[in-house]
Amino acid sequence: MSSREQILAKLRHKRPHGPALPDIDAVPFITFADKFDAFATLVRNLGGDAVQLQPGETVAGIVAQRWPQPGRVVDVTAANPEQVSAPHDWHDVDIAIVPGELAVAESAAVWVSHAGNSQRALYFLTQKLVLVVPKDAIVDTMRDAYARVSIREHGFGGFISGSSRTADIEQSLVMGAHGAMAALVIFV
Amino acid sequence: MKNDNINHAEAAAAFLQDREQARWHDSAIWWVRQKRDAQAKQLPEWEQLRALAQQIKAHTLSRLDEYLEQFQRNAEQNGVTVHWAADADEHNRIVHGILAAGGVKKLVKSKSMLTEECGLNPYLEQRGIEVIDTDLGERIVQLRHEPPSHIVMPAIHLKKEQISELFHKELGTEAGNNDPTYLTHAARANLREHFLTAGAGLTGVNFAIAETGGVVVCTNEGNADLGTALPPIHIASMGLEKIIPKQAHLGVFTRLLARSAIGSPITTYTSHFQQARPGGEMHIVIVDNGRSDILGSDDFSQSLRCIRCGACMNTCPVYRRSTGHSYSYIIPGPIGSTLGPSRDIKKHGSMAFACTTCGSCSNVCPVKINLHEQLILQRKRAFDAGTLKPVKKMGLLAMRFLTQHPSLMDTGGKLMRKVVPILPQALTQHSAWSRPGRDLPQMPAQSFKEMWQARQKDKP
Repeated sequence: MSSREQILAKLRHKRPHGPALPDIDAVPFITFADKFDAFATLVRNLGGDAVQLQPGETVAGIVAQRWPQPGRVVDVTAANPEQVSAPHDWHDVDIAIVPGELAVAESAAVWVSHAGNSQRALYFLTQKLVLVVPKDAIVDTMRDAYARVSIREHGFGGFISGSSRTADIEQSLVMGAHGAMAALVIFV
Repeated sequence: MKNDNINHAEAAAAFLQDREQARWHDSAIWWVRQKRDAQAKQLPEWEQLRALAQQIKAHTLSRLDEYLEQFQRNAEQNGVTVHWAADADEHNRIVHGILAAGGVKKLVKSKSMLTEECGLNPYLEQRGIEVIDTDLGERIVQLRHEPPSHIVMPAIHLKKEQISELFHKELGTEAGNNDPTYLTHAARANLREHFLTAGAGLTGVNFAIAETGGVVVCTNEGNADLGTALPPIHIASMGLEKIIPKQAHLGVFTRLLARSAIGSPITTYTSHFQQARPGGEMHIVIVDNGRSDILGSDDFSQSLRCIRCGACMNTCPVYRRSTGHSYSYIIPGPIGSTLGPSRDIKKHGSMAFACTTCGSCSNVCPVKINLHEQLILQRKRAFDAGTLKPVKKMGLLAMRFLTQHPSLMDTGGKLMRKVVPILPQALTQHSAWSRPGRDLPQMPAQSFKEMWQARQKDKP
């Protein structure tokens, strides 16, 4: 008998009693009067920032204003985004501008996922990450978010909340552990 | 790997020799507990959220075989190869087999308590594979050749001066530069090179979703993401209890995990892996290694609900004052003190006594495991298995005799209240109670029983 069969047989034999699955939508969760405000306040404590695009402004303009002398910039939201043959080729990217599908007010998280699963290294290799999210794509809690992101899957999807960080040395919070050292969310 | 001959009380006494370090350790971890409280209080639904998580996990455990089969079917449909390992050795053989087939010389790992449990690193190193732990805290303890002392904060037992010295020696950082930002960024630069040159990446698994066949990994650093986005091979090792039925259930667990673990609303990265990157391959290794035995135990099966947040450690007055290195099992604190003895009571019996039975662990646990009750049951097993030191065993037997003979107990108590106050200090200083630097408590004039009786009499 293979390990698989042995393990499954044991688990079948040893099943403890358990309740039925609860209805997770039956419990009321927290809501926010101003979701953008909740998101922006939180993300600023997590090594990030959030702005709303004003009339006359462009994403490129906001990015250029914030980081006037960038190194390599890759804009995946552009019409013909740069392609690479291996994910390692993104290793020296300074600013990556990527689409975010959905933002979550309670956690300042943004859902990223894309067809083909080819750019995922970019989200994590870039020094500064710019997430471009539609203005109305913001929900209260992670439960609301999962109800929406389950619709589309591309082999990989992730929530990103602020910048990469660690407190592994004496609980001192340091931004930029392995991933992006800065995160900017632009609602358009 | 951990030395499983450690006796908790002895190791804790040694740790407490350095009073300043011990105080720092206690307060640093208590601060994380307070951050957890602040997050929990922001959510009016916190207690309902815990109840939902408990119910989802308890339900899943009652049909674990079905959900694992469903998970495997869906993972295979996604093009993922699923492996099953009955024990640690089989897990290590499978991982090595995948690496050997791919000609991998270097493996980057994100945090995985399961691979610590299985002793994967030494197994692979003996077979010529370079293993790089990439979580900063894990990297620190790997370079020091010691096990993690906490499941979420692996290097919480160290001061920045020690890490600075280590990095100076291993990574060539400036001598005497203790700045955490400087040290973190030095490790970042060093580990980036490893990410870019590794042949495979291994991650743990926070949640495996039966409905989608995908796995979820949560990190703040982004190391699991770099370790899987760059190398062509991704191996995810998971204990078989990591299953949840539906993706929607992540809407409960991702709300609890980081709030309970570190007092943040969520981890920086919550990544859902369902397929390998283009041109790559993805493997999932499902590991039993004693878990199915725990599932069959009425007393301890609840411990399989654990989502490894570490909240029970942060709140535990014993853990905070003894460090994870005082526990013989790789997972310390209250949850480790039931998992370890469940695995091997002879080796880990002393852990069951690293507990005041205050119950705080059970109150903060996001999946409501009855931790302190399990530890009491583990004590019974430790006693029955003959793992107690003679003095402790004699003490317990004497206490048992006394509690079974009430009049003797009354007389003994009366005698103690009279005699202890007139004992010379030289004698009282060397009792088990006063050895760690405490004074014996003031002896009350009356026993609790006498006070109770007097009180009942006074009642109208």
